[in-house]
Amino acid sequence: MENLISIFVDSVFVGNILLAYFLGMCSFLAVSKNLQTSLGLGIAVVFVLTITTPVNWLIYRYLLAPGALAWAGLPDVDLSFLKLILFIAIIAGIVQMVEMVIDRYSQALYNALGVFLPLITVNCAVLGVSLFMVERSYTFAETVVYGVGSGIGWLLAIVSMATIKIKLRYADVPEGLQGFGINMITTGLMAMAFMLFSGITL
Amino acid sequence: MSDGVKTILFATGLCLVCSLLLTMAATGLKAFQRENALVDRQKNILQAVGAVESGRSYPADAIKALYQSSIQCISIDDEGQVLSAKAAPKKVLPLYLYRADGQVKAYIIPVDSRGLWGRIYGYLALDTDGSTITGFSVYQHSETPGLGGEIENQWFQRNFVGKQIIDAEGNFVSIKIAKGAVEDAVRQDLKPNYVDGISGATMTGKFLSQGLEDILQTYEPVSVHFRNQGMLKLPENALVCQPPS
Amino acid sequence: MSTALVKITRTETYRTVSDALWQNNPISKQVLGICSSLAVTVQMNTAIVMALALTAVVACSNLIISLMRKMIPRNIRIIVEVAVIATLVIIADEVLKAFMYNISKQLSVFVGLIITNCIVMGRAETFAMSNPPLKSFVDGMANGIGYGSILVGVSFFRELLGSGKILGFPVVPQALYDMGYMDMGLMLLAPGAFIVIGLFVWLEHAILNR
Repeated sequence: MENLISIFVDSVFVGNILLAYFLGMCSFLAVSKNLQTSLGLGIAVVFVLTITTPVNWLIYRYLLAPGALAWAGLPDVDLSFLKLILFIAIIAGIVQMVEMVIDRYSQALYNALGVFLPLITVNCAVLGVSLFMVERSYTFAETVVYGVGSGIGWLLAIVSMATIKIKLRYADVPEGLQGFGINMITTGLMAMAFMLFSGITL
Repeated sequence: MSDGVKTILFATGLCLVCSLLLTMAATGLKAFQRENALVDRQKNILQAVGAVESGRSYPADAIKALYQSSIQCISIDDEGQVLSAKAAPKKVLPLYLYRADGQVKAYIIPVDSRGLWGRIYGYLALDTDGSTITGFSVYQHSETPGLGGEIENQWFQRNFVGKQIIDAEGNFVSIKIAKGAVEDAVRQDLKPNYVDGISGATMTGKFLSQGLEDILQTYEPVSVHFRNQGMLKLPENALVCQPPS
Repeated sequence: MSTALVKITRTETYRTVSDALWQNNPISKQVLGICSSLAVTVQMNTAIVMALALTAVVACSNLIISLMRKMIPRNIRIIVEVAVIATLVIIADEVLKAFMYNISKQLSVFVGLIITNCIVMGRAETFAMSNPPLKSFVDGMANGIGYGSILVGVSFFRELLGSGKILGFPVVPQALYDMGYMDMGLMLLAPGAFIVIGLFVWLEHAILNR
């Protein structure tokens, strides 16, 4: 339990997938102009990560890992080199399916999240989380917590960025630094603030 | 031919070509990759006892030959008994023995510890007196290069040499990583049990201290045996250890 | 001499290269593409290997897609591009693991993340689908070097300021440390990368607007 809590805190703050590993920057910089949209995209990312990471774990554990095919009578097969291509296909497939399911059953949710779902397939944070969970050999429970935590961390980062940008409009930024430059530096300062959580012990 | 059929044919063809290429690359290069990983492990074990220097590159053959001639890997159970090949293995722990000039000089424990960003894997070598560390090495970690990543560097690993895992009364206290230099940060009587920390990597040090303590605790029966009775009794056909994957 | 130069500067290939390297290479655009690789810019040697892997993947994917551009059915072209890129990335990863084991240990998952690099995909979609093979190959190569140079540039400052080394060799003289100079730990952490890039953009604006 303690372990799970510390993985959660770590993935939300210290090991924030965006601020510590630079993953998901494309959509982060493009979408954070507007608070409402960033909130929507953030929630969509949490949603997709919560589903895809455990699914990818199961796929890796029972199909790809060295010796994973023992249940099929093939204990010597090692398909782990296929994880990249399969993970990205699974992510694309699940995002598509989620989109269709939401469209069918909840129009309100579809209106809120629908436009963001296709964007998420190319969000490197989603693939990155799946790859990290293999790299760190998490158990199933740890993977679920890590997936949710990373999603929340990303949501937190993009929403904070959007609110900071609103304040930035009133700031007197040097000319050459306006736009992209100041965004990067702000992100850097945010990353620093998030690192302060590394002192937490559980 | 209709467009639909053409699309499906094209997709099938592409899948075939891609999978063929991938399988070829993966199987063709697997031998090299295994070899690399194996030599890397062996080099790290040798590095832990100081038989090779860290940071220098050695030809793979030299590493393998040196490993063959000086390292024996045996299996022990959790009470510190060496298992023979016939024994029904309960919980098996690997243990490496380092021989030089025909004598066992040190025993080596595999380290698997939590770090700040991921797991830290390495080896810790102890002298046959069962209390003095003769070396430490790391072969895999994901700490920040330049900060926590310094654990893979020679200056940090050298600090371990000659340190004690027991206090003056002979009780087990493990080895800890100080916050800052041992000289300033640690009480006089505890100095033999601490190594210099890395500035900017307090958390890595904390996790690694904990990991080392856990692993030393697990192997404490072996260390106690070395402390009180000297070398372990090896059965005729000692169970060869399973190298961790 | 000068006529020869004019001849060179007028060729298609030259224009492709100069577009990718200079005219069309704002840092802000490239950073979007290399974002997933920023984590390996703490040291120069990892950054250089990453830049090479990236260049090889973009160039080859451009070449292959351009060769097939007349055969690829329009409606599945995106998935075809992803499949080609993913295959190339996996091959690059396997080759690194087999022949540059130490570096590949440090790059870990970041080689795999080239797949989601928006610019690899972008070049395949916008350039290779409508241009002949040789030109596409050159374009991919030049684009790869374009982002690679930013990656290496960022890593140069992070390694120099963060650990006082270049390519692993100490360059800050001991005398300076004795006088009280200290390495800047911040540069080695994630915020360092963001700030270095922000300052790079400032510099670029200052030069271009003069």
